[in-house]
Amino acid sequence: MLRKHAAWLAAALPVAGCGTEYRLFHPAGPVANSELHFTVLNTAVMLVIIIPTTILTMVFALRYRKSRQAAYDPSFSHSLVLELLMWGVPLVITVILTFCTYASVFAVNPADPTSLDNQADPGAVAPPLNVDVITTDWQWIFIYPDQHIATIDDLVVPAGRTVRLRLSSATVTNDFYIPQVAPMIDVMPGMVTHDAFRVNRAGAYEGFSADFSGAGFSWMQFSTRIFSPADFSAWVAKTQAAPDHLDYARFLQIAQPTINETAAPHYFSNVGPNLFADVDMAVMDGKVFPVPADLDAKGPYPTPTLGKQDEVKSGT
Amino acid sequence: MFVQLQGAWSPLFGRLTLDSIPYSNPIIIFAFAFSVIAGLAVVIPVLYYGKVGYIFREWICSVDHKKIGVMYIILGLVMLFRGFVDGMMIRTQQVMADGPHSPGFLEAQHGYIPPSHFDQIYSSHGTLMILFAATPILTGLGNVIVPLQIGARDMAFPRMNAISLWLTVMGAMLVMASLFIGDFSDAGWVGLTPLTELPYSPSVGVDYWMWAIQISSIGTTLNAINIITTIIGMRAPGMRWDRLPIFTWTTLSTSIIGLTAFPILGVALALLGADRYLGTHFYTAGLGGNLMLYTDLFWIWGHPEVYFLVLPAFGILSEVIPTFSEKPLFGYITMVAATFAIAGISWSVWLHHFFTMGAGPMVNTFFSVATMLVGIPTGVKVFNWILTMYRGRITYTTPMLWSVGALLLLLIGGLTGVMLANPAINYTVHNSVFVIAHFHCMVLLIAFTIFAAIIYWFPKVFGFTLDEHNGKMFFWTFCIATTVVFTAMFTLGFEGETRRLDYLYDPDWMPMLIVEEIGIGFYCLSVFYFFRMLYVSIRDREKNRCGADPWGTARTLEWLTHSPVPFYNFAVTPQVHELDELAWRRANNCEALMPETYDPIHMPKNSMVPIIIGVFAFGFGFGMVWRIWWMAGFSLLAIIATVIISSFTPDPGYTITAEEMRRLEERKEPPGIVADSHIPRPMAEERIV
Amino acid sequence: MDAHAKHEGPLPPLWHYGETEHDPISTKTLGFWLYMLSDALIFAGLFAAYGVLDQPMNAAGGPGIAKIVHPVAAFWQTIAVLSSVLAYSLATVALKTGNRNGVLAGIIAAIVLGIIFVGLEFADFASLFAIGATPDTSGMLSAFYILVATHGLHMMFGILWMLVLIPQIFLSGFNTAVVTRLLNLRLFWQFQASVWVCVYVFVYLRGTIQ
Repeated sequence: MLRKHAAWLAAALPVAGCGTEYRLFHPAGPVANSELHFTVLNTAVMLVIIIPTTILTMVFALRYRKSRQAAYDPSFSHSLVLELLMWGVPLVITVILTFCTYASVFAVNPADPTSLDNQADPGAVAPPLNVDVITTDWQWIFIYPDQHIATIDDLVVPAGRTVRLRLSSATVTNDFYIPQVAPMIDVMPGMVTHDAFRVNRAGAYEGFSADFSGAGFSWMQFSTRIFSPADFSAWVAKTQAAPDHLDYARFLQIAQPTINETAAPHYFSNVGPNLFADVDMAVMDGKVFPVPADLDAKGPYPTPTLGKQDEVKSGT
Repeated sequence: MFVQLQGAWSPLFGRLTLDSIPYSNPIIIFAFAFSVIAGLAVVIPVLYYGKVGYIFREWICSVDHKKIGVMYIILGLVMLFRGFVDGMMIRTQQVMADGPHSPGFLEAQHGYIPPSHFDQIYSSHGTLMILFAATPILTGLGNVIVPLQIGARDMAFPRMNAISLWLTVMGAMLVMASLFIGDFSDAGWVGLTPLTELPYSPSVGVDYWMWAIQISSIGTTLNAINIITTIIGMRAPGMRWDRLPIFTWTTLSTSIIGLTAFPILGVALALLGADRYLGTHFYTAGLGGNLMLYTDLFWIWGHPEVYFLVLPAFGILSEVIPTFSEKPLFGYITMVAATFAIAGISWSVWLHHFFTMGAGPMVNTFFSVATMLVGIPTGVKVFNWILTMYRGRITYTTPMLWSVGALLLLLIGGLTGVMLANPAINYTVHNSVFVIAHFHCMVLLIAFTIFAAIIYWFPKVFGFTLDEHNGKMFFWTFCIATTVVFTAMFTLGFEGETRRLDYLYDPDWMPMLIVEEIGIGFYCLSVFYFFRMLYVSIRDREKNRCGADPWGTARTLEWLTHSPVPFYNFAVTPQVHELDELAWRRANNCEALMPETYDPIHMPKNSMVPIIIGVFAFGFGFGMVWRIWWMAGFSLLAIIATVIISSFTPDPGYTITAEEMRRLEERKEPPGIVADSHIPRPMAEERIV
Repeated sequence: MDAHAKHEGPLPPLWHYGETEHDPISTKTLGFWLYMLSDALIFAGLFAAYGVLDQPMNAAGGPGIAKIVHPVAAFWQTIAVLSSVLAYSLATVALKTGNRNGVLAGIIAAIVLGIIFVGLEFADFASLFAIGATPDTSGMLSAFYILVATHGLHMMFGILWMLVLIPQIFLSGFNTAVVTRLLNLRLFWQFQASVWVCVYVFVYLRGTIQ
């Protein structure tokens, strides 16, 4: 039956997924590694039940057709032994998976993943890089409180150092997602969530929001660039000379509904020290950024209210 | 009033203005033209053949559970079609809008649908498919079959049954109205806060979504009350609990879920309504609201809801597989136990829909374990179905094909479900198309069983069988389509694609998106075969007339009475002796024996009250959506007044004498659902104003 | 127990002649109990929302629960609703002997006491509005108002139901339909009183000591 072939195809495809577009199979850091490890383990344990059951289903479905004249036993409708097996074996599998879950859930816990604590890795003992993340409609703002700089839609971090994020939203719920790098965590207004990751090699990845947040949602990508420590320091120094400053008043401007169509990055220096806390408090006091009802009936979309800057590639 | 609204508001028209009608949107104009033509295709023949009075008296005012069930199923199939069109539009937009250089047509930057319209399309796709296609069809099947399976004449509350139907229809009509007047919610079928609060969803879309669901939920809750009371109180003599057909058992547990879970949805949406209409702060981010409260309340309903859908599907499998394997269901008692285990545990798993909300490792572990525990009774059911087929004599009629397909889908859906139950995996695929593919496997297995059930029970209700060849073509094209689309979608999930994207930024996804679009082509082909199956079957109905047991190997009580079923179900209430009563009678060569004498029977009259309540419910919903306070207030008062006034003239029903029973039973032309139009049913004499 | 086994000896009767009498009152009452289960879950959801929004930060700088609940004044509401239930229950005792005047007296007393309850609640809300503690002040107040007002709305529907029953008793006497409605209303009324006890304890008493 066609379905039989399709089932094998479906199983084979991921295994054949050596291409780099299979992001989930190409983890870039210890947390993502841990996630893939548990994915494979969990799936393998489940397949212990699913594969024999699928085979049995297809064998019985084909073998006991009327035309095949196989054995017919209409009184075979209960069996204590089989019942015990069919309740018992899945129960044992569930117990095994419970142990897997319990181990995994601490390893990849976004607030404090234990998979980052491998003492053999120098990044585990180096001081972490703190990044504050604020989402607006519809951009990502990354604030580096210790370096007093900020970016829009560009997360730049050094390789080999743990990055600890505090996340909050100025408007509606988003989801912080960099598939090969960090565990997903919700970003919610009036609340602070935490995430952590580490990547040991330089590279570039794409991050985006996984929780629908409105008309500009499809354009909420942000680039994630891992620099060597030297390059990172150089980048920080350059950004600290950026002409635009980010204080709360400037934040109110850039937080107006904006669809950043090319996810063009933007850079700020002289970031106010308590900006993240101020935005969080303002939201809790009732600050909203209403979306106009007639937004986006057609393009072009509202461009970022960023003014004339060097590194801006204006989207339209 | 109370809140800041964007746009104008007038006392007479509320927020409704001429601008609310999307004259300039070509897609909507096309949809409107299509709907008008489809509507005329129904209305014109009715007028031409002079059937308006018949349709009103015998169908719209009907309190007969079979007619109500058929109307539920028709509503569900029409909404399934519209939901499918929405799905097709989603897929087409995504394949056209992949990559920054993808072209844009019809006012869109990329693809052919601008973002907020795309968002409305996928929101209506989800809402329609779950609440206005799957739920009504399964409810309708329960309505038609359960009273027959337990040997009853009708449901416990026939008029309330009709009210449930019309409330559901009006909810669906609100969603349809949103297509042409105003817009629909763009916040998904879930409607998470604070996105659905006024500042971030300022138009009437979320209000349409909210009221459509609230009104139809009342219908669902009333229907649950009806079914539970019917099953408990109206079984035929000898129909003990250990002889109850398995589909009735699953419908009972489904209704218990519906009765207890839907009120929570009502609360979740009512509090959102309070935020949007009264300016309260239940779910706002500021001023002391808690947006996670909505997520929790919604999913406390949402997870039992999916079991509300899947348990009747399991019941259907438990009826079809034994019939076409010519064997009793394996492990009847454990099947019933597993059903209630699933229903019970389903209350404790809701957080797995939002593992990423940061509840912490211990809480996440608890819900993960609970979710995996639900898999155990589900696995038991799969094993029992396989063991039913073991050493049976299987005939691959169309319903049996659909059932085996559903079993295979359940295995894949279950595997991916347990994967998703692990928080570590969930953090990599939450809200990605992997999750979409998983739950589409589950809802498609529900669709497979729905098609199996419709084809299985169609001859019983209408008196002729459906065309097998076109049925099988329908099955195979649908099967190929499902395999192609969802294999590609699981693959895209591993590639990192997330959901609800109007524009996809990564051109690497293009090959799989094209594969999915090819799959959609197969779905279109399957729709063609579905309609062809109906056309050929209706055209050839005289050749395919059938008796009480068209399949020959059916096992349960509903196959004891005529096909089509007469309006009184059984002429004389059967005495039940065994589980699988009809199989027992066949083994003892008495399945064709008819009663010797007849007794007078008592039937309820048809009534205008349900449709009146339905119409005013629509008025209330529409008035609330557009904040036309006088319309909403008047409609609400009218509903209350109708209920009160009709309570002054309770329906005494009418009696059919024994001689009339003999004449009805022994006439030559077939009785029942459409053909007995020449036996008019009396109307109740409510004095409405 | 096997459907495929042949039955020994002559067949038992296949049909049940004579109308199977399903007692209409017990059927309708079972349906009503099921409705009340769904109503109980509505209140469960509202209590859950109240419990979530009961934290200090949900007051958002406005008045907390302790400032807006007056358990002594609400105690009179409790007396009113419990006496109303007592009056109505006495009406159903009179129903057992078909004593129409007794039934009507009990119902009217229940109505009056119910109106007193609702009136006290309106007065309480009015006084809170006067000091600016409106539902849109904060999440905590939103939860308080909606929970208490939902119960009040149920009480108003019960009173309306009683008012409708009075002419029906005159017009139809104590036929099946009217008796069913009287009994179901007793269930409904007692249920509303039970919910009020929960509201009083969980909101008014507990709110005071926070």
